[in-house]
Amino acid sequence: MASSDKIPVACPASSGDGKEPMGDPTKTTTTILDKGTAMMQSMKPIRQMSVHVCSFACYSHDPGRHMEVHIYGHRVNQDFLQCAVYDSNSSKAHLIGIEYIVSEKLFESLSPEEQKLWHSHDYEIQIALLVTPRVPEVVAKPELKNLAKSYGKFWCTWQIDRGDRLPLGVPSLMVSPQDVNLGRIKPELVKKRDEEHGISTEALKPSRDGISGPEKKNLVADYWVRFRKGFALDVVETDMKRTAPFP
Amino acid sequence: MEKAVHLSTKNGPKVPGEPTKTGTSMVDTAASAVQSFAPINQIHQHLCAFHFYAYDMTRQVEAHHFCGHINEDMRQCLIYDGPDANARLIGLEYIVTEKLFMTLPDDEKKLWHTHEWEVKGGFLFMPGVPEAIQRQDLEKVAKTYGKVYHFWQVDLGHQLPIGLPNIMMAVTRDGQLYPEMIKETEKQFGVSMDKERASRAYMKGPDHGIHPLANGGGKGLKLEVREVDIKPVESVPRVFV
Repeated sequence: MASSDKIPVACPASSGDGKEPMGDPTKTTTTILDKGTAMMQSMKPIRQMSVHVCSFACYSHDPGRHMEVHIYGHRVNQDFLQCAVYDSNSSKAHLIGIEYIVSEKLFESLSPEEQKLWHSHDYEIQIALLVTPRVPEVVAKPELKNLAKSYGKFWCTWQIDRGDRLPLGVPSLMVSPQDVNLGRIKPELVKKRDEEHGISTEALKPSRDGISGPEKKNLVADYWVRFRKGFALDVVETDMKRTAPFP
Repeated sequence: MEKAVHLSTKNGPKVPGEPTKTGTSMVDTAASAVQSFAPINQIHQHLCAFHFYAYDMTRQVEAHHFCGHINEDMRQCLIYDGPDANARLIGLEYIVTEKLFMTLPDDEKKLWHTHEWEVKGGFLFMPGVPEAIQRQDLEKVAKTYGKVYHFWQVDLGHQLPIGLPNIMMAVTRDGQLYPEMIKETEKQFGVSMDKERASRAYMKGPDHGIHPLANGGGKGLKLEVREVDIKPVESVPRVFV
């Protein structure tokens, strides 16, 4: 059955020819109904999101595959953020996964087996791959300093860079850009990102001087860098523990 | 039969960590004022429903979906374990019409579940919205299929999102969901699922009926992790001139 590191079975959604996801344009009546009901609902959890960063992510099973990501985070406390990840910051953005970010302190409390699934953030922040669109560096600096010492765990549920027009398959574990061959983000992707946002990664680099990574860099995180092994997920059929017949 | 272990945000374990320092939160507020949150602003709907683990129906979770339309045929949702500001982001769901579902390969169809009984049974509702208005949209949802992943096993009391993702499934017939869990939700949101069920009797599921491969094809589904070798960038085939 489906595996995160395998190419999907050919189907209209895997054709990759069109850019848009499959489906008809949203009807006006749908939009009106949606907006009307939204006014009656409180939506508190999503209103907690206050952080937006743009960076790049790589597939754990194929780190040479890079993708621009837009991360919208809720800072739950000084040590933890829960984030929704999209492929752009437009109203047409696709939800492509979820990332959790923990401080060095929380990260060190995890078991080594768990730590293997996490990645560091210092490199991408130090070379300004990670940017805070429309937020001046001086305002973003305290948050960047915090994030540079953090670790993230990102599951990608839609391999949109492959051209999938629907979210096919099972989640992929993602890793962060790293200062090794496969982990250095393709310059054309950075250029495209910079042009779209009217920024220059090169010009931002000096403002990242003095931002340091974790006090003691964990040697289990960024597992692929040291051990040249990534992680793929497989779905297996099994007996379901039931309370009643299913389906 | 084990009782449901379902932890609402009120009772669940707190996320460990220091309270957000003033400096950081000031940055966040100033930042959000100027940033583009367009993707989040597309989220227009809050749905409350229940999920269980695709390999273990006895583990059931109240799931709060915050959804937006990608287009007329597809929605994308963030899933939280409660409706309040302190809710934990535990997963996501994609919802597609039957039209899109039918284009999926067989193995992919198994990862998706039907919404027909969730809606018709009254288990899925939109907090805060009068029932008659809810039904205008929910009659569409009843015909759709969803794919859910949870990344945080809050029902096990995990303080942090450790472990692998889990495929989740939804209720497909009576007798699956724990009555006490349903009663608690009804009380919290002031709804009556039995009453709503009667009002939703007119709704129809997918035009072609529930696909036999959906809902795991009736089997349990579990995700397992496997180490893979990373191909070195130097592995370019040698060319003999």
